[in-house]
Amino acid sequence: MKISVIQSAVIDAPIERVWAVLRDFSSQESWHPAVLRSRMENDAAGDVVGGVRQLSLTDGAEQREQLLSHNDCEYTFTYCIIDSPLPLFDYMATVRLKPVTDGNQTFWDWRTQFRAPDERAAKLKSMVQEQICEAGFAGLRTYLAGKTARPLPPGPETETAAAAAVGSKQIPSRAVVVAATGGPEVLSLSHVAVSAPGPRQVRIRQTAIAVNYLDLKHRRGISEGFELPGTPGLEGVGEIIDAGEQVNGLFPGDRVAYLSRTPGAYAEIRCIDADACIPLPDGVSDNDASSLLKGLLAALLLGRVFRAAAGATILIQAVSGGVGHLLCQWAKSMDLTVMGTVSTRQKAKFSRDRGCDYPIVAPDDIPPAAEVMRITNGRGVDYWVHSSGAHGLDSALASLAVGGHCAVIGDRDGQSITLDVNLLKRHSLTVSAPVCFDYFADRSYLQRAAHQLFAKIQRRMVIPVIQTFPLSQAAEAHQQIESRQNLGAVVLTPGG
Amino acid sequence: MVKVYRSTVLNAPADRVWRDLRDFNGLANWHPLILSSRIENSHPADKVGCVRYLQLKDGARVREKLLSLSDYEYTCTCAILESPLDLSDYIATLRLLPVTEGNRCFIEWSAEFDCPPEKVAELADTVGGGLFQAGLDALKQRYGQT
Repeated sequence: MKISVIQSAVIDAPIERVWAVLRDFSSQESWHPAVLRSRMENDAAGDVVGGVRQLSLTDGAEQREQLLSHNDCEYTFTYCIIDSPLPLFDYMATVRLKPVTDGNQTFWDWRTQFRAPDERAAKLKSMVQEQICEAGFAGLRTYLAGKTARPLPPGPETETAAAAAVGSKQIPSRAVVVAATGGPEVLSLSHVAVSAPGPRQVRIRQTAIAVNYLDLKHRRGISEGFELPGTPGLEGVGEIIDAGEQVNGLFPGDRVAYLSRTPGAYAEIRCIDADACIPLPDGVSDNDASSLLKGLLAALLLGRVFRAAAGATILIQAVSGGVGHLLCQWAKSMDLTVMGTVSTRQKAKFSRDRGCDYPIVAPDDIPPAAEVMRITNGRGVDYWVHSSGAHGLDSALASLAVGGHCAVIGDRDGQSITLDVNLLKRHSLTVSAPVCFDYFADRSYLQRAAHQLFAKIQRRMVIPVIQTFPLSQAAEAHQQIESRQNLGAVVLTPGG
Repeated sequence: MVKVYRSTVLNAPADRVWRDLRDFNGLANWHPLILSSRIENSHPADKVGCVRYLQLKDGARVREKLLSLSDYEYTCTCAILESPLDLSDYIATLRLLPVTEGNRCFIEWSAEFDCPPEKVAELADTVGGGLFQAGLDALKQRYGQT
């Protein structure tokens, strides 16, 4: 029997708000009460037409559904069921939103068609009506209500000031300011006021700010792009306090991570371009997300710069570091054989625990060539991720297998690196020098790569290891990286 | 091409509201800006292609042609043939969609037209903020507040 179900409701939220949630085909686990888990197969993004989601339902059933169409202009998508334990045949459904201009609400129309055996038709019809559609409407309402902005938590000293500032233009905050370049001691904490966000900006309360090696170079005055006096930091994680005009799809209370070429992250509260923000899915904590830049570099190196086949060998310099430990785990999830250099036995153990097959203790990050050849049975490594600049580059090229690739991701404090192309000809080698910000200026690639990273984190295939410091100890955090004592990433936590 | 869109939720089932709205000659019964309506050439009001002659309370006269009428999709489309407004190629659609939750209905009124660039804002406001919103407000009154 052919069955048609039309269910519709009015949601008390603007259409951009509702669509921001529903447009992600994998979002059901966040809001639908009947769905325990929803994951896209092959780590596809939730708006890839043809993508398949796996649903684990609260009644224990497993179901697979495929996205057939997605339209951001018409606020609509269509999907079908591929596998289901229930006799739902030729099941196709369309979700369509329309704005209720009178009151800024959203009309949600959900239409389903399917065939079912006659004797079970009535039961299945009411199941779709009640347990899928009506429960979905209610679930989304609850979800949206839970995401409205929480009031500002009272700070120890600024309690009354903060309370008075809510809703007003400026909010008191503290930021790390560098007045003159130098050692870690030039990082000093200052009281500042953060104005309301401008057009296409959001104001966020930050919870985790990753320290990157580039921050140290900015502080020391050996890298461009940092003006004095200035606040270092290229990325952060936090909760949106308020949004400026012309901001779509981001709302107070949303958790986001961002990446910005312009420094300024070492602060409790700041404004940032909405375009730089990526909403965080449930299952990815603020601390996990603080590894965004390093994780994206891993996604870039393994997914785009050079594609190593399963079984290939990769050598990662400084494999226990912020980038290295993520690269190592990601490479293992792709079935690569991982070699890595570390400076101490303790770091060797740390790396082995993260899947590194051959940690090599080498104080200056240059592994003995004989050791590399022994491990690869004289073949050489397929992919070398190089972070020690000119230092050891020749021996890296000499250790590569035929057709191998070397990605240079560190220049060791701005030293120039010269390359004799004849060295490449010996084994048909290629060399690249990828810069994250060049690739991630393409917002759609940024979103895809971030989605891959978050999917790996949600599945615990990549587990960021971080060491946290309060914002007031930014100097100690820099010191930790400069003395190469860190295992994993170093993160500032303004809240704690 | 200028696009105008207004929508609201009415506190009555779509079937009930459609009974009133499907009458192409019935605009004066519920729209506060319309004084009278007649169908030219004695055609029935649900004959696609028929023309209604509207007199507005401000004295304007407008001729509109029925382009489509669907009892199945609760949709009515019409074009302006003549009006005092400085616009051309005006096509408007009135559509109802049932809101199953609460047995109400969603109503949307949209239009597309061309006009001189300097008149876009003024005409969009006349059509959307004036004609459409006044009509929707009257319908909300008619069927009770949600």
